[in-house]
Amino acid sequence: MENNTSQSRRRFIFGTALTLGGIVSGFAFSNKALAELIVFKDEKKILGFAPSVWVEITKDNFVVVTVARSEIGQGIKTTFAMIVAEELDADWSKVIAVNSQGDPKYGDQSTGGSTSVRMFWTNLRQAGAQARQMMINAAAQIWGISPDDCYTENSYVYERNGTRKLAYGELIETAMNLPVPPLNSVKLKSSSEFKILGKSQKNLEEPNYVTGKTIYSFDFRYPGMKYAVLLRCPYIGGSVKSFDATDALKQNGVIGVYQIEEGIAVVADNSWAALKGREALKVQWNEGPNANLNTEQIYETFRSLIVNTGQLPSKTVKEIDVRFEVPFLAHSTMEPMCAFANFKDGKCEIFAGTQNPQYAREDVARALKISKDNVTVNVLNSGGGFGRRLNSDYITIAAKISKASGLPILFFYTKADDIKFDYYRPASVHAIKAGIDSNGKPTGMIHIIASQGGVWPVDPPYNVGGYNYELKSSAFGIREGAWRSVENTQNIFAIESAIDELAYLAGKDPFEFRLEITTDQKLKNVLSKVAQNANWGSSLPSGWGRGIAAFVGYGAYITHVVEVYVSNEGFLNVKKIYAVVDPGFPINPENIRNQIQGAAIDALSTALYAEITIEGGQVQQSGFHNYRWLRMDEIPEFDIEILRTSDNPSGMGEVGFPSVTPALCNAIFNATGIRIRKLPISRTPLTSVEKQLTKDNYFEVNAFPNPFESSVKIEITPRSVLNKKLDVEIYDYLGKKVIEPKFKYDSAKYFADVNFEILPPSVYYVVVSFGAERFSFPIMKVK
Amino acid sequence: MEINVNKKNYTVDVDPDMPLLWVLRDILNLTGTKYGCGIGVCKSCTVLIEGVPEQSCIVPVSYAEGKSITTIEGISENGDHPLQKAWIELSVSQCGYCQPGQIVRAYYLLSKNPKPTVEDINKEMSEHICRCGTYDKIRKAILLASKE
Ligand code: FES
Ligand code: FES
Repeated sequence: MENNTSQSRRRFIFGTALTLGGIVSGFAFSNKALAELIVFKDEKKILGFAPSVWVEITKDNFVVVTVARSEIGQGIKTTFAMIVAEELDADWSKVIAVNSQGDPKYGDQSTGGSTSVRMFWTNLRQAGAQARQMMINAAAQIWGISPDDCYTENSYVYERNGTRKLAYGELIETAMNLPVPPLNSVKLKSSSEFKILGKSQKNLEEPNYVTGKTIYSFDFRYPGMKYAVLLRCPYIGGSVKSFDATDALKQNGVIGVYQIEEGIAVVADNSWAALKGREALKVQWNEGPNANLNTEQIYETFRSLIVNTGQLPSKTVKEIDVRFEVPFLAHSTMEPMCAFANFKDGKCEIFAGTQNPQYAREDVARALKISKDNVTVNVLNSGGGFGRRLNSDYITIAAKISKASGLPILFFYTKADDIKFDYYRPASVHAIKAGIDSNGKPTGMIHIIASQGGVWPVDPPYNVGGYNYELKSSAFGIREGAWRSVENTQNIFAIESAIDELAYLAGKDPFEFRLEITTDQKLKNVLSKVAQNANWGSSLPSGWGRGIAAFVGYGAYITHVVEVYVSNEGFLNVKKIYAVVDPGFPINPENIRNQIQGAAIDALSTALYAEITIEGGQVQQSGFHNYRWLRMDEIPEFDIEILRTSDNPSGMGEVGFPSVTPALCNAIFNATGIRIRKLPISRTPLTSVEKQLTKDNYFEVNAFPNPFESSVKIEITPRSVLNKKLDVEIYDYLGKKVIEPKFKYDSAKYFADVNFEILPPSVYYVVVSFGAERFSFPIMKVK
Repeated sequence: MEINVNKKNYTVDVDPDMPLLWVLRDILNLTGTKYGCGIGVCKSCTVLIEGVPEQSCIVPVSYAEGKSITTIEGISENGDHPLQKAWIELSVSQCGYCQPGQIVRAYYLLSKNPKPTVEDINKEMSEHICRCGTYDKIRKAILLASKE
C-alpha cells in the first residue's frame, strides 16, 4: 500500500498528464483513438501535478485517478474515483479513471476476494484529502491568507471571507513547490459531509462501452502486430507427440508455426488466417495418463471418500444425513482470454485484461527467464473476470509466442479454448449430518467435503449447536481456480439447504427457524427485512413456492428469498428474487444493485444449467450452446434493498452469489416437495408423471434409452382406442418448446426418433396433449 | 472487394470466406464489434446489414459485398443516440463487452418498432447473452430511449 509521504513522492507531470502508460477512460477523452491515448511525454510544459501515485490534477482542471485494481465489470474504476473525488472535493463531471500498471508501488493489486474497497478505502480517501489540502495551501499562499480561511468545492478553492476563487488546475504550479502533508496527517470528512459517496453515480466507463471505444485485450493494436492462436492437447495432462505444419503454412496470411510448452502456435496477419492455419495443422497427441477419465468416475471417488459421517450429541432426537454434489464450472467470460505481448531486446511489454498484473509480471519473467524489472504489464479493461483472470496462462503464452516469433503478438483463446482450458470452479461432494433436540434446537452439524483438495470449509452463519468439518481429497489433475465467491459457492449451497431441511425436520417455518438460531443482530435484520419485503408467510397459489437463504461474508450481510412456480408439466419458472444487502456503507448504491442482480443471474444460470463434464479425458463443453446462460426472457423480477448501517464499506462483487442457489432449491422444495441435492438443478425432473399416467390410464409413454445422449426414441402406446387427437411436444426445463416431433403410427403404437444433438444436457419434458388432458413425461439428456 | 461500413466505402483485399467480423476488426480496425463465440450463439458480434441484424462472426465478407453495413461505431460516435444516452443514464453495463452488440440490436428493434412493449423487447433481445446479467437494465434503457 502506498503510504510513503516523503517529498520525493511528488510527481511533476510534464507534457500531458495522461502518461500512465495506461489507457484513458471517462468522458473527457473518450473520443480519442487508442494510438493517441498511449501518449508520450513532451518535456516542455507542466500539465499536471500528482501529489501521490493515486491522483493527478491537470492544468485544465481534470482530476485523474489511477485505479490499481482491475476493472472486470464490478465498477471499480468509478468506485475508486468516487472515493478520491469525495475527499478532494472534485467536480465529479471532470473526474477520469485510468488503469494502473502492475507495480508494487500500488500495494497488493490482486483483484480477488472482494478486497479492493476494503483495502483501499482509507488510503484513497487520504490521497484525495492530501491533494485537497495542497490545493488549499497553494491558494492560501497566493492570496497571503491562512489555509483556515479557505474552503473547497467542485474543484475550486474559495476564500471564506471574500470573493476570490481559484480552480485546482490554476494552483498546480504553486502546489508542486509546497511540502506534501503526510497522508495520515490529513483530516478526512465525516460521512455526513459526503456529497459523492453514498449516492448513485453514473458509471464513468459507460460512454466508452456504448460507443465501442473501450479497449479490451482483443482490441489492442500495435504497429507490426500479428495475431496468434494455439492448438493445445485436448486430453487433460496430455501433450503433443508430433505435428506437421506444411498445410498450415500454406494458408493465406499465416506467417509462422511455433511449438511452445503449451502447444503449437500459429501466427498470422489476422485472426481468421490464424484460425484457418490452426485448422490445417496435423497433430498426433500423447493422450497422457487421463485418457479414460470421466466426471462420473470423479464423483464416484469423491462419494467413496465419505464413509462415516460420525455421531451427533446424544440429546439429538432427529437428524438428517444428506449428500450434496456440485460440478466443475467454467468462468465463460464474455471476452475470452486474450493478451498482447511484445518481447524485444530482452524486455517484454504486456497489455492485457488481468486480475493480477503483479503476478502476471512475475509469471512472464519466469516464463521468459528474464528479470521482472524487464517486464511491464499494462492493465486493460476486462470483458468479465469472475476470478478467471487471476491466472496468467494466456499472458505467458502470448509472451512465449512473441519470443519464439520475434514479433509483437496478440494471442487469443477462442470461446471453445477458453472453456476447455479454464481453471475450473472445483467440483465437490458434501456430506452433512445435522440434528435437533426435543425442542427443535440444533444439536450439531458435521460437514465432510470431498474434492480434489481445492474446496475449503465455510462456517454456517448460524448457531448450529457445534460445527465440525473434515476434508477428504483425491486429485485428478483437473485445473482449478478461483470462481466468483470461491468456496462459498459450494459450501453455502450445502449448508443453507441443510438448514432448510433441519427447519422442516423441526416442523418450523424456515425463516423463523433461521431467526431463532442466530444472535447476530445484523443477520436478524436482513432476514427480517427480506421476509417482510417478500411477504413471507402469506399464502401462495398452488404450484408456487418460496425459499430463503442467507450469506455473511466480504464484510457484508445478504439474504435472498426466491419465488418459483412449478407447473403441472414440471416446468420451472423462477418468478422473483428478493434481496436485502447490508454492505455497511454503500458507496455507489446503483452499482451495488447491478452487482447483486448480476451475481443472482450468475447463480441462477449455473444452478440451473452449468456443468463442465469430462469424457475420455477431454472437457466436453465448448461454448454457450452447451454451457448455457440465462437470457433476457428467462430472468426473474428483482426486488433489491440496499441498507446503510455504518460508515465502513464492504466487498460487493461476490456477496450476491452464494445464497441465491440454496434459496432457489429451498423454493423448489416448498413448491414440489422435491429436494435438489445435486447441481445443476436441470438434471432433476420436477414432476413425477408416471403417477398421473397410471391414474388416468389412457396410454403409456416410454423413452429408449432414457437417459440418452444425442437422440431418443419416444413410444406412446394407447391403452384403449383413442377417440381424440394426440399432440406431442417437447419442452425444456423452463417450459420453452424446443421440438415438435413427427410421430408415426405402427403396430398400435405411436413412435418418433427425436434428435437432441444441438440441445444441452438437461431434463426435458415430453408433453402429450389429449383433448383437454395434458401429461408430461420427463426424459433426461446426458452429455 | 468493396464494402460499405457506416456510410463509408472501403476496398478490402481478403479471402472472400473471411467472416465480416474479422474484416471489421483486424482489417478496418473497427474494434467496437466484439468477438464472443465465433459460432453465432452469443450475438456480441451483431451488426446490421441492410438494416437487419446479422452475426458478423459467421457471415462471410463476400455476403456483405456491395451492401450497407452498420456497426456500433455507426450508431453514433460520440454516444448521443437516445439508446446510448439511456445506457449512460441508467449505468447499464458491467464489463461492457456485450453491449455494442446489444445496442445494435436495440437500434434495429426501435427502427421497426419505435414503441416496443416489454414483451417485444424480451423477444428481440433474448437473442443475446450478457454474461454479467445486465438484462433488466437493458430492458429499462430501451424503454427509456423509446420515450425520446
Ligand atoms: S461472436 Fe458472433 S455470435 Fe458470438
Ligand atoms: S456487460 Fe459484461 S457481458 Fe454484458
